[in-house]
Amino acid sequence: MMVEAGAAADSMAAGIELLHREAAYLDEQRWDEWLALFAPDCEFWAPTWTGEGRLTTNPQTELSLMYFAGRGGLEDRIVRIRSGRSPAALPLPRTTHMVGNILPLEPPQSSRLRLRSSWTCHAFFPLMNATHIFFGRAEYELTSGGTDWVIAKKKTILENDRIPMAIDIYCL
Amino acid sequence: MRPRAAQSYIDDRPEDGVFRVHRDVYADPELFELEIKYIFERTWNFLTLESELAKPHDFVTTHIGRTPVIVARDAKGKIGAFLNTCRHKGATVCRFEKGNAKFHVCLYHGWAYDSAGKNVSIKQREAADYAAAFDAESHDLIPIARLDSYQGLVFGSLSPDVPPLLDHLGDLKFFIDLHMEQSPNGMEIIPGRVAYTYRGNWKMQLENGQDPYHVDTAHGSFMAIAERRRKGQGNVAARELDWQKRNNVQIGAYEFPFGHSSVWHEVAEPERRAVYPMLDEIRARLGPVKAEWMVKQRNAVFFPNLQIADQIVPILRTFRPISVDLTELRSNVIAPVGEPPERRAARLRQFEDFVNPGGYATPDDVTVFADCQTGFSATGVDFLQGYARGIGALERGANDEARGAGLHPLASVKGHRTQNTEIGTHAPFREWVRLMEAGMAGRKAYA
Repeated sequence: MMVEAGAAADSMAAGIELLHREAAYLDEQRWDEWLALFAPDCEFWAPTWTGEGRLTTNPQTELSLMYFAGRGGLEDRIVRIRSGRSPAALPLPRTTHMVGNILPLEPPQSSRLRLRSSWTCHAFFPLMNATHIFFGRAEYELTSGGTDWVIAKKKTILENDRIPMAIDIYCL
Repeated sequence: MRPRAAQSYIDDRPEDGVFRVHRDVYADPELFELEIKYIFERTWNFLTLESELAKPHDFVTTHIGRTPVIVARDAKGKIGAFLNTCRHKGATVCRFEKGNAKFHVCLYHGWAYDSAGKNVSIKQREAADYAAAFDAESHDLIPIARLDSYQGLVFGSLSPDVPPLLDHLGDLKFFIDLHMEQSPNGMEIIPGRVAYTYRGNWKMQLENGQDPYHVDTAHGSFMAIAERRRKGQGNVAARELDWQKRNNVQIGAYEFPFGHSSVWHEVAEPERRAVYPMLDEIRARLGPVKAEWMVKQRNAVFFPNLQIADQIVPILRTFRPISVDLTELRSNVIAPVGEPPERRAARLRQFEDFVNPGGYATPDDVTVFADCQTGFSATGVDFLQGYARGIGALERGANDEARGAGLHPLASVKGHRTQNTEIGTHAPFREWVRLMEAGMAGRKAYA
């Protein structure tokens, strides 16, 4: 179905804004607003590298850094952060995400967008007095039921996967 | 400052019920150098799984201590292990973690080696005007001194003066069996890998597996997640044991020779264990004892570099010492070859949820290791007090559970879950003393 040029531009603008919001909410620890960007039945997937050059391709048969079929997996991470009982999140690292190189992976539609992005996450770990830059790229499927767009699928690839200690959703 | 005699770092007085470890053991860079030399380079180390080398010319690269090593299956199917360093100028001849290569060609001057480590090409050799003395030397990769495997686990030693592998493993063979015999089709590493470092000494991860005492504090937030999942909220696909139900279970530990040890827990909900659907077949094939032990939560240490753990699902975790306060961990999840897809997926979710650096348990462990390492900088304090739980219940030799499994530990302990025994740390530290003392005195590591 052909989409009018104006509608496509509107979809793209909404999608780009959603990706920016996602990053900003993580950095500002607006966890509930961050969760609300994801569809309840969303898929969140961070594959692992099997070695130098290949990523795992199937989360049902190969290892992932994180794989959640449903927003519940993301909600668990927030429950943990808020519990105040996780040594890994005491004190909580401070992060700044930058998102760029957002391109459509298919022609934008009025109710579905597939986008790719590049991202960096500068993380300061007060515990270590150390800064680490996580970086990678992501693929999204966004859907819109009417006015609001939500993330139906997110696959994010951590390029520098030699992890200093640990990662959480705010590192990706 | 010269390190003192090795015994002075471990206050080990069984007759007085005392076992204490000096903080310098984790923090002194000179001791760390000696550990590399007298422990890692003078005993068996776990290298890889044979299943990672399924085909001729498959290889993996790894380390023994700091020594880079290639393990490869040659054209005839034989597994060999070589120092990953070119005979010419010393560059590693293989940069990759794993793969398949008939030849490993040094990127510096092009010397080439086959998958059996044999030098097959010295570039422009004919025109080199080498003297006869050069031709008289071997140019092959140096094989490591000892290589052997048990149940598909490949071990190697840089020193020839080690006991035969099977003698060295001793009763640890039982705990390897419990991992590797779960399927009649064999077990394999699930593709994908996680590698992470922590700011702490290598022995902290080794000990952490022998330390059930930390679980309900360090992993307190995980208990909150488990509570949600009981109500059907959150990532229920990763749901495993109900940790609340563990309160009445028994816990135990064994000390074995050569630094190995194991902790075990009874399990209140066997039906939640990954092995549960396979138990009838396992009982028929291996008998009731191994089947029963496969259900128990287990955490065994192969000293010095491997954790053979099944707290959630069976894993193999290696620890590589990089410096006195930096350690690299790699965790592999193993699974039955040909496992049904839904069980494979459930196994992955449980592993990712608990063991991954983005999971719920490991991140808390490694961050508290950093706290310990910082705390070790304190002066005016010497011995730690974290090795004493369970000493009052220690039995020399085997207890009933050990006898039932045909095990012959040096010592056994058992108690209510909240005993949270720490005696699983004793065998590694006694072996630490023995190997360090032998090295510092200029003696061989093994009689």
